[in-house]
Amino acid sequence: MTTAPFFTVNGTSVDLSPVPGSERLLDTLRWRLGLKGTKEGCRTGDCGACTVLVDRASVLSCLTLAHEVAGSEVTTIEGLAAEDVGARIVQSFADEGASQCGYCTPGFVMALASLLHERGAAGDLAEFEEDLQGNLCRCTGYVSIRRASQRAREAVR
Amino acid sequence: MSYAVRSDALAKARGAVPYGTDIESPGMLWGALVLAPITHGTIRSIDLTAARAIPGVTAIGPEDLPRLLPGVPTDPERPIFPSKTIQYHAQPIAAVAAPTFGAARRAAQAVKVETREHPAVESIDEAATGPEPEVIGHVHARYGDLDGVFRTADFVLTETYRTNAVSQVALEPHAAIAEIRDDGTWFVRTSTQSPFGVREDLAAMLGIPEPQIVVEGTWVGGGFGGKGSSLVEPYALLLARASGRPVRLALTYREEFLLGRSTLPSLIRLSSAVRGGTIVGRRVLWKVDAGSSLPGRDFATGYGIGFTVGPYRVPAIELEGIALRTHKPPLGPHRAPLAPQCAFAAESHMDHLAQRLGVDSVEFRRRHVWLSGDATHLGQTVGPFGLSECLAEAGARARKWRERLPENHGIGVGAGFWSTGTGAGGEARLFLQPERLRIVQGEPEIGSGSVIRGLAAVVEVVLGIPRERIEVDYRDTATAPFDSGVWGSRTLGALGQAVEKAARELRAELAKRTDAPEGAIRLTVQGPELAVEVDGVSRPVREILRRDEIENGGLTTYGTHYGAAGSFDALRVLDGTFYPYTDFTGAAHVAEVALDPELGTVHVVRYAAFHDAGRVVDFETAKAQVEGGIVMGLGTALTEEGLWSPEGVLQNPGLVDYRIPTLAEVPPIEVHFVEGFLGAGPFGAKGLGEPPIIPVPATIANAVRDACGEGPTELPMTGERLARHLKLLRT
Repeated sequence: MTTAPFFTVNGTSVDLSPVPGSERLLDTLRWRLGLKGTKEGCRTGDCGACTVLVDRASVLSCLTLAHEVAGSEVTTIEGLAAEDVGARIVQSFADEGASQCGYCTPGFVMALASLLHERGAAGDLAEFEEDLQGNLCRCTGYVSIRRASQRAREAVR
Repeated sequence: MSYAVRSDALAKARGAVPYGTDIESPGMLWGALVLAPITHGTIRSIDLTAARAIPGVTAIGPEDLPRLLPGVPTDPERPIFPSKTIQYHAQPIAAVAAPTFGAARRAAQAVKVETREHPAVESIDEAATGPEPEVIGHVHARYGDLDGVFRTADFVLTETYRTNAVSQVALEPHAAIAEIRDDGTWFVRTSTQSPFGVREDLAAMLGIPEPQIVVEGTWVGGGFGGKGSSLVEPYALLLARASGRPVRLALTYREEFLLGRSTLPSLIRLSSAVRGGTIVGRRVLWKVDAGSSLPGRDFATGYGIGFTVGPYRVPAIELEGIALRTHKPPLGPHRAPLAPQCAFAAESHMDHLAQRLGVDSVEFRRRHVWLSGDATHLGQTVGPFGLSECLAEAGARARKWRERLPENHGIGVGAGFWSTGTGAGGEARLFLQPERLRIVQGEPEIGSGSVIRGLAAVVEVVLGIPRERIEVDYRDTATAPFDSGVWGSRTLGALGQAVEKAARELRAELAKRTDAPEGAIRLTVQGPELAVEVDGVSRPVREILRRDEIENGGLTTYGTHYGAAGSFDALRVLDGTFYPYTDFTGAAHVAEVALDPELGTVHVVRYAAFHDAGRVVDFETAKAQVEGGIVMGLGTALTEEGLWSPEGVLQNPGLVDYRIPTLAEVPPIEVHFVEGFLGAGPFGAKGLGEPPIIPVPATIANAVRDACGEGPTELPMTGERLARHLKLLRT
């Protein structure tokens, strides 16, 4: 391996040398770094609860090995919520009552942040919703999540 | 109406709320279950040697139980491990704990199991090959001149409906962390709907008195019935006992599906006698696949069977329900257990009858629907019940949508009823402090908001206190007052009554201390503190409380609610256990669907729901429950289905092959409440957690019937199934 065995999480440098090659980023974040805002759902890439940003693009941390993100900048919900755009998305979810059990919410916030980063706030709503299909919610029926996404688009415009 | 942000909303969106899966303990081990490799058979040996050879691994099997169990289990129907016979594929037969998650999985795989396989009963279908399923539950009720009405009927319509298995699919898997404390307490923190229920289960399964067990509920990442009783907790505790360390045991998502506790298939045969445009008699034969469960077998049939008749007056009835044992995982409660499936059959049947008679299906329903004061099929009196009004609204909406209906579109109406579990007990304590009011109780918030929002709303109404000054405090089973848990849509209706009593007692005490009439008391905010306001005059709460009260957590009052269930005419019961209903709620839904005539796929264009939920205490929370229930119901209606191989192995234990609804396929949903039919809950509230899912499959099925002329007879209505249905119609 030629890359530096470090990555940054929410701006802090993390040494990867004690991390086994087979360890998932999800487990590194949750159990080594205590960043439990990244939720563990299916561990098979189907539910989106573990979504994080790697160099600002959304990534399923359950399907990503920690060593794959060497040299990258990882942002979790803890870091994103402390940023201006992240805080606005979080507030939009709260204002629209878009969490019930809340287990999927951080994943939705991360996915939305990545979409807003990638496409800006103005893009086509249907396409936007299409791209949120990778995140599952069992409580809300998505009605309030839709409203929250729309509100977040307006809030970051 | 402005929406005040729920007190858990920001923390949840920031990922700052700890769920069961997030809890860890210093020095903890990671647990894993060893699952049976076969569906039905005898265990010849379980060899834990290789697992135990992995450094740091603790492994336990059936032979270790006598050494580890603190007492003699009192519930033989729920063994921790099967002693001899495996009853379903993936039944836990041993468990391991290791210093890392990876080591635990490796250790579980290193356990060598030798079995002798027997043929498995996998289907309740009469046409199935293989051994006959055993009858483990039977209910039978009858009344009226059944033979007479069937003999003199204008016509008799007989139909058979099939429903399939659906899973709860809470996003958070079951997770518990257990330890045996130095004082001998068996302590477990767990993601559960019912900490007191889990304590009761554990006492029976471990054979120790309840006070020696402490269950602390965590925040719950969705329950839907799946977290109502113990699942991972006994294994986590026994591993903790064996290893002397705290043990975390979380299911993998695959195990979530494999270990079941969900709804299983059923066959519903309905036969109705019609004379002069009304139903004069109904015969029901309902066969339920009860899986390998023994507990709950009566409940499945004795409670669920009423939903095959629906909320309608029928003068002569025969109901027979049979629970059959198969080698599927145990049956468990799934949001409104079996009611959406039964309503699918009953409401499809209603539409078919209306079609035969050439009358409007909503008017046909309203001709039969229970009104307040009517009697159920077992002769129980129906309380205040607004379904007729819901149906009227739904019918009007359906007519409006029908004005411009494109080709291959259809409109369906479906109805359903439910009985809120207000009979189950709960207790709550209030503490009035100078700055805030705390509600201390023993029910975790599982997401609906019924605890964190509903209970607070009750106090808000009684005392006038702004909700940001109300704190809902969850405590474990050692320190909280008793509560039956989150099931039966009972939180607001039952625990809410305990809270209401405590709030009224607090108001009476404040009235006494301020020499004012009770009705005049309001708690208002005065800077950082609370004040008691009477006719515009405020006195700080701090001045009204005694010093010892302030030092001991505040002025405290206690409320309990132990309601009585209703009663029915026992003479109508010929066999088995039937359950009375408590508080009647009802709903009528309308859907417009677009049916692809070639592919058989259904696209839901729009949806409207009309609910009688009694007095709506918090509109936004209530509306959110209905939206979520409808979309979960769309999954039951259209895509969700557990599929087992003939060998009894679940074929789709994952979210790709077991498909739940996603954001882009959800239609616009309107939610309306028909008020004025008061329930037994605070201020007349009725439960709303389960009712919204009940009419959904029926509503979609009736919309499909409207689009193509004939109704589907099996759930879920997948594209494949409907394409076959449409092809049959054409030939």
